[in-house]
Amino acid sequence: MNPYWGKDFFEFFSLLFLRLVRAMKGDLAFCDLASDEVQLLVLAGVGISTSLIGNLLILKRMTMLANALSHTILLGLVSAYLFLFPLMGASEEGIGMDLNLLMAAAFFTSLFTVLSTEFLKRVAKVQEDASIGLVFTTLFALGITAVTLFARNLHLEADAVMGNVDALHLHDLKLVGFVALLNAVVMLLFFKEWKITAFDSRLAASLGFCPLLFDLLLLFQTALTLVGAFRAVGVFLVLALLVFPPLAARRLTHNLGRLFFLSPLLGAAASVLAVALSRHLLSVYHLALSTAGLLVFILGCLYLLLLLPSLTFRKKKGIIL
Amino acid sequence: MTSLVDFLTDSVLRGPTIGSMLMCIATALVGVILLIRKETLLGEALSHAAYPGIVGSALFASLIFKTPGADEGMSVILGAFLSASLGLFLISFLQKKVSLHSDAALCMILSLFFGVGVLLASRLQVTHAVWYKQISLYLYGQAATLVDRDMAIYAVLVLITALCVFFLYRFVQWIYFDRAFAKSVGASVRKVEFLVHFLLILSIVIGMRSVGVVLLSGMLIAPAVAARRWTSRLSMLFFLAALIGGGSAFLGNYLSVNLPLLFHRESLALPTGPMIVLVGAAISLFSLFFSLESGLIFRAYRMRAFKNRCLLENVLKRLWKEGEKREFSFSEIVHFNQLSSLSGSLLFFKMRCQGWLQRKGKGRYRLSSDGWRRASRTVRLHRLWEVYLVDYLGQHADRVHRSAEEIEHLLSYELERELTRLLKDPKKDPHKQPIPNDHESLLG
Repeated sequence: MNPYWGKDFFEFFSLLFLRLVRAMKGDLAFCDLASDEVQLLVLAGVGISTSLIGNLLILKRMTMLANALSHTILLGLVSAYLFLFPLMGASEEGIGMDLNLLMAAAFFTSLFTVLSTEFLKRVAKVQEDASIGLVFTTLFALGITAVTLFARNLHLEADAVMGNVDALHLHDLKLVGFVALLNAVVMLLFFKEWKITAFDSRLAASLGFCPLLFDLLLLFQTALTLVGAFRAVGVFLVLALLVFPPLAARRLTHNLGRLFFLSPLLGAAASVLAVALSRHLLSVYHLALSTAGLLVFILGCLYLLLLLPSLTFRKKKGIIL
Repeated sequence: MTSLVDFLTDSVLRGPTIGSMLMCIATALVGVILLIRKETLLGEALSHAAYPGIVGSALFASLIFKTPGADEGMSVILGAFLSASLGLFLISFLQKKVSLHSDAALCMILSLFFGVGVLLASRLQVTHAVWYKQISLYLYGQAATLVDRDMAIYAVLVLITALCVFFLYRFVQWIYFDRAFAKSVGASVRKVEFLVHFLLILSIVIGMRSVGVVLLSGMLIAPAVAARRWTSRLSMLFFLAALIGGGSAFLGNYLSVNLPLLFHRESLALPTGPMIVLVGAAISLFSLFFSLESGLIFRAYRMRAFKNRCLLENVLKRLWKEGEKREFSFSEIVHFNQLSSLSGSLLFFKMRCQGWLQRKGKGRYRLSSDGWRRASRTVRLHRLWEVYLVDYLGQHADRVHRSAEEIEHLLSYELERELTRLLKDPKKDPHKQPIPNDHESLLG
């Protein structure tokens, strides 16, 4: 029984607070999490992991490459499943449940995309934008075809491409938490390296950091983040989570360290708001809206809100910091 | 199995087939302009930006009609057009006023619009399930429900696109290949840009029914990339791209109907949209490898052939240095040039075929007059180039050999004649070696 049933926006937060207090006292076990709370935590986790990555993607102007990755994920998942199935035996729950599967899918996704794009660009001399576009549409078409062929044992329909927040489960939380933690650790650990490769890759190369290695690491992490988010918000909407929080945070500050801190905050806050608002709309207006769609909408509004001051005052730098 | 002709005549099949062919022709035509402008990712962003318009128009129409009627297609086209235009406006706004990089701006608008589309669709799914089903077709494309009436609508739209492209042709040629000239004749770059973007959005709303908004950019890019491999003429590029676009649509439809029949497996009933994109991608991959001018295979072949020619000329040069009357055995030839026995015999065979080696007694060969002339020309070019480098570019005589070693395989007869004239037909090279000139007849 979901305790949040019929609550409006403010009641949602007061109940959340009460349950949080109870959980701290130890009255509430982990498995007692209501579905709204699972959604909230998963979306917040996704928001945190994507916004961390997004900062770097935007700095390196690789967001359209992330878009390409989001398309090729489908093929990555299918091939990970097909490869792992004979290796590790059946994972009966289906796709997106298993940590190994997650990693393998991310690996295949980034591998397919990078190798084929580079092949077209370097060997076949196709211009860059066209090679990205050609690769991901083709791989996506292949992915859809493969899903149609193997859908019966994959628990993965074409609808799953859109994600479904309401079908989230506790083990999704585990996966998303893992990805968010990994991203945070990698970002903190290599902060200096990221900074130098993002702003001056030649200096980085001359100092002995291999920019290519970090590009590849970033791509793999992006793929991992996308795969992790795929069950919650689907492969397309996760892009909004990648670009909006960092860009919104850039309206506030231009310092990379603060960006790394602010953008996950914004991402997580927007996720919490989205879950609460979706509950509010359902309880009060009986509007059942897609929480992921709502999240993207909120992110858009957030960006607009932060954009307005700098548009009116014509300030180029961040407004606060 | 359904025959090829049935796809164009059968009353059930001709709607989807001809319909999606028309759509893909439109996207292919516009794709060429996008490829030249290096703006293909704009096509990707705008095709996603059309999605909320599709859903929105269905949401609006569902308030008036209970079920989707015959005119639903038009309202969807209008909605998609409006929302893609809004997307385009926002992208240029973000780039100019907020000074975002185009990469981030595209990604932002793409995801924001798609998210709003999903939001609206989730509303529609609850209230009007029939309408929801109808608009889901635009996501991955489903041409199967097209009838003759739709075909007529799309034919008109494609005609408009083609006319615009025809009208734009000269401007595209001027602006993208000769900007200075375009300015001098007063072509307004802004106006042309506006028209190009209008065309892009038009082709997106036309094409989305065949391959869907998600895959649409594939049909924008693939035909243009493939066509580019076969021609460098702009007019031919448009023609070939349209041909490839139409062809992949036809084949895509054909395969998606016939594959399950061919293998007697229902599970092979693959959706038309992805099938069309896959066929298009296959065609462009084929073109990348096998096109005559710039295909990978032929490029590799030409590189290989050039390498072989260099090797051959070097071997001839080596034999030439031994003197005209000198006879060689096969093993000597291999030994002089430090060849492996395999490539040695290959070269030996080639020289025999070309008639550059003459047989003199058992196992003894010498350069024929043709071979002699060929070799002495190579040496002549080498030494002429050395003279040129020393006399005209002021290089030291010790350092010119390596460059001459490469250029001797490249200089044409015209260049040789020019060099001879420029250097006043020198007789000695910088190392005091004679410059041979016994192939006068070839110079003509």
